[in-house]
Amino acid sequence: MHIVDILQQWSENSAFFTWLRESSSIWAYPMVFFIHTLALVFTAGASVIIDARLLGAARRLPIPPLSRLFKAIWIGITLTVVSGVVMLGTDVQTKLMNTLFPLKMLFVFAAIVLTAVLRNRVASTESSASPLVRVLAAASLVCWCGAIAAGKFAAYL
Amino acid sequence: MKWWFVPLWKTVHYFAVSGLVGIVGLIDLRILGVAKGLPLRPLQRLMPWAVVSFLVTAVSGYALSRIDPANTIGPPVNVAYAAKILFLVLIGLNDVLYFATGLKRQVDGVGAGDSTSASAKIVAAVSIALWIGVVYWSRMLTFLSGAI
Repeated sequence: MHIVDILQQWSENSAFFTWLRESSSIWAYPMVFFIHTLALVFTAGASVIIDARLLGAARRLPIPPLSRLFKAIWIGITLTVVSGVVMLGTDVQTKLMNTLFPLKMLFVFAAIVLTAVLRNRVASTESSASPLVRVLAAASLVCWCGAIAAGKFAAYL
Repeated sequence: MKWWFVPLWKTVHYFAVSGLVGIVGLIDLRILGVAKGLPLRPLQRLMPWAVVSFLVTAVSGYALSRIDPANTIGPPVNVAYAAKILFLVLIGLNDVLYFATGLKRQVDGVGAGDSTSASAKIVAAVSIALWIGVVYWSRMLTFLSGAI
């Protein structure tokens, strides 16, 4: 049996995921969806502002103290990933088999890796970022935008 | 209407919301004491970009509400939509208060490592709470449509 079918069956047999899928309560699926949206908007927003600064915007803003924001960004990433996995669990087959799902995951994983890579570089970057850091910042910006766009379009395929 | 029309507007809306919440969130968090190494004047100089982002969210949001008016302004009016607009108005009032009372200028003087006043912290906390509310009501739009 295919791994997707196994996960689908497990989800259908799980009391928690069945409740999440079938309950009409706004505390069920809508609440998980809200946490996903809120955490993603904050995470992507804060990351994009840091990326823009590294690319040369808002030059009067010192770069090293921005590294202190990464703790909040990691909390945001964790909440986004956990809520995302929970929503995936309610409808494994449809969501995993979506044409845009692999692309979205590619953007998400790349964005998370770039966040980890950029954290230390932000702490040690003084007035202007090195060409390498600029490339990483541009890649991070593209990945967050790509993840959001892929997520939006996936719902319409 | 082409199938990509709605997701395209939603993507634009989401990008602008991220930029807006990113800027507002960072200013509010710094006022509350997160990343104290950041001086507030250059951070608050990002405010015009938050305004630009807000205008993009307003235009794309209006376009989305026209595509499917039954989902928002009805009739019947969507409870979540009404609450979202109310929260946005409250955010506007909170911002007017921030500028009119001179708090914005006072906060501009808060340098790296300095703490802000209690009144600035209250305005920032209210701002964060209201923005979280706006995202909540936006998410509830499709779940509470036509509830009045």
